Amino acid sequence: MDTQNPINSEPGILNLSHAQVFVYMLLAVVTILFLFLTNAYVFRMNFEDWQPLPMPSLLWANTCSLVVASIGMGWATRGVNNNNQASLKTGLLIGGFFALLFLTGQFWAWQQLIAYGYLVAQNPANTFFYLITALHGLHISGGVVAWIVITKKSWRTDGTQPSLSQVSLLATYWHYLLLIWVMMFGLFLST
Amino acid sequence: MEQSAAYEGQQMYHPKGWWGHYVFSQDHKIIALQYTCVALAIGLTGMFLSLMMRMQLGFPGLFDSIDAGNYYQDVTMHGMIMVIYLLTALFLGGFGNYLIPLMLGSRDMAFPFVNMLSFWVYFLSVIILSASFFVPSGPTGAGWTLYPPQSILEGTPGGDGAGILLMLISLAVFIIAFTMGGLNYITTVLQSRARGMKMMRMPLVIWCIFLATFLGLLAFPALFVGAIMLTFDRVLETSFFMPEIFKGGEVLDYGGGSPVLFQHLFWFFGHPEVYIIALPAFGIISELISCHARKNIFGYNMMVWALVAIAGISFIVWAHHMYVAGMNPYLGFFFATTTLIIAVPTAIKVYNWVLTLWHANIKMTVPMLYCLAFLITFLIGGLTGLFLGNVSVDVPLSDTYFVVGHFHMVMAVSPVLALYGGLYHWFPSVTGRMLDDRLGKIHFWITFIGTYLIYFPMHYIGFLGVPRRYYSNQQYDFIPDSVADLNQFITICALIVGASQFILLYNFVNSAIRGKKASKNPWGACTLEWQTLESPPGHGNWGDQLPVVYRWPYDYGLPGATADFVPQNVPDEQIT
Repeated sequence: MDTQNPINSEPGILNLSHAQVFVYMLLAVVTILFLFLTNAYVFRMNFEDWQPLPMPSLLWANTCSLVVASIGMGWATRGVNNNNQASLKTGLLIGGFFALLFLTGQFWAWQQLIAYGYLVAQNPANTFFYLITALHGLHISGGVVAWIVITKKSWRTDGTQPSLSQVSLLATYWHYLLLIWVMMFGLFLST
Repeated sequence: MEQSAAYEGQQMYHPKGWWGHYVFSQDHKIIALQYTCVALAIGLTGMFLSLMMRMQLGFPGLFDSIDAGNYYQDVTMHGMIMVIYLLTALFLGGFGNYLIPLMLGSRDMAFPFVNMLSFWVYFLSVIILSASFFVPSGPTGAGWTLYPPQSILEGTPGGDGAGILLMLISLAVFIIAFTMGGLNYITTVLQSRARGMKMMRMPLVIWCIFLATFLGLLAFPALFVGAIMLTFDRVLETSFFMPEIFKGGEVLDYGGGSPVLFQHLFWFFGHPEVYIIALPAFGIISELISCHARKNIFGYNMMVWALVAIAGISFIVWAHHMYVAGMNPYLGFFFATTTLIIAVPTAIKVYNWVLTLWHANIKMTVPMLYCLAFLITFLIGGLTGLFLGNVSVDVPLSDTYFVVGHFHMVMAVSPVLALYGGLYHWFPSVTGRMLDDRLGKIHFWITFIGTYLIYFPMHYIGFLGVPRRYYSNQQYDFIPDSVADLNQFITICALIVGASQFILLYNFVNSAIRGKKASKNPWGACTLEWQTLESPPGHGNWGDQLPVVYRWPYDYGLPGATADFVPQNVPDEQIT
């Protein structure tokens, strides 16, 4: 992911690396995806049959997990920046663990809602909740795959440690998915 | 995967073995070929389906096997295959992959592995789509727009079976493939240009592919969301799009949803999709016209900004596909206005192409014939678009053959003409051999005249009020008998045009094996893909050293130069 420009090339746009352009564009596409979901949500909620569902309080704890995961990734970035292996590894572990905790928590929140009888097809508000949380969870899962690759790399002893740009891009992805979750959670709470 | 720091600090992938070279290749040229072959194969299927439809319309009842259900399945699959799996994939996956690194002086795409993955995921989407032909109730027959509620209900072919599901899943998979490819194209264009290749020195075809990719990345998520939500409605019986429905006096489990919401999501993707196809066609035409008329392109900067304007405005015209869905008149007025405004940058491009031809040294090569045919066809298709862009004219014409004639001229025949022109032009670069000129001209004239004989009469049939989508026109008093004769004529023309495409296929295969050897730059083009060390270009494209760019890509007839073209990598002091 960390391809550099060859010597005989035009400089990259805004001095960004290939991987940065790729990930930033990916985040733009992810934003558009959730924007369309939000549009559809707002369009559909104006119909008569819309009945908001109560938000399980577990979602607050899940949000905190994702915040801690994001902080962990920030810590890992600082670690690789300061050439501090311990910070890098600890930060990555915190980032990954709390992201997985978030996913588990979201799944648990689904179980709670199902137990209370808020089934997916019962009302469009329910369906949107399950759909949006599932798509957000899938994006987190994709990030976890990248996290596994980079974390494995950071444990290697053959000198092929992850680069600053790899770790910082992973952290950017984490922060961004936190932002999207906060927006989506806000949407659920406000409607 | 073996990585080595081979060239000037750039990491390069080097394939090992036959599988690495030709199957799971990460070389953009092989991936382009893979995209092209798969897209053409599924495109041939799409063409076959259209001929089945034409047989029913021209000779109703001749084939017992074509019933109303089959007919709608053919219509649906033909539309979706041609728009998404042929044209989008071929223009961006095929031409985009081949041309971007070569024209920009790069060794490969920015992320070759993701590029390879993009092709294989696309291939998977084609497999899933094709699988729907083999499930018990067959593929979906909902029409290519897949409008709910009918698309997922019993009674619509494939609606209660796996057909519609396979279509929706295939679309979602295609979008994932496109996103991987698209992110790669954007990154490569922004990051991997040879020294001197400023953005405003890029060939117009690269600008077009670049902007079409942007459109795709921003528009496809709308279809993705629509497809996922429709899948939910179909599988989980949710009601995103499904209103209350009564069947046989009993109410179904659905209720409260909005079919119009799906239409908005679909067309927010659907209209930019027109330009995702049209922009690469514009780009190919720009390259071909300049090269085969031996004259620099007229108004390069204006062309680029017109493209940017088209790309931007294409996001605010989508509801002109929905005038008959019921719309506030003021909203209709807004979308009619934006639709007419987008004609302005489009017209700028057409004028610039015509002005490029003005007093040019026009070579009547096969690619040039396709360019001229494109100009006329796009103009005619565009003009009928002015009719349909206006609400009051669109409402009576919307469900008639006038629309079929219009969109086939503007977004089927026109892009295909550009596509064929591009294939003839770049075939020597890919294979090192020339396509047979005589066969090329025969194929061109049959295709060009034939498509006019097919689609021109449809405008007239549309004015008569003949509804599109109908399986049979026989039992309606308001449809005159002459329509049946005209439909027979159209069908015979369609069969001839369809059969003539095999001339092209034969020409491809025969020329690739036995064709006349091409020189390194047979058309005398200025762009970088013709300036490689080897022809066809080898792995890594440029040997040991990347090219350096000194000029724009259209230096034809430069004063003081003896040759009538100066390639982009020739410095001023070396011009003789």
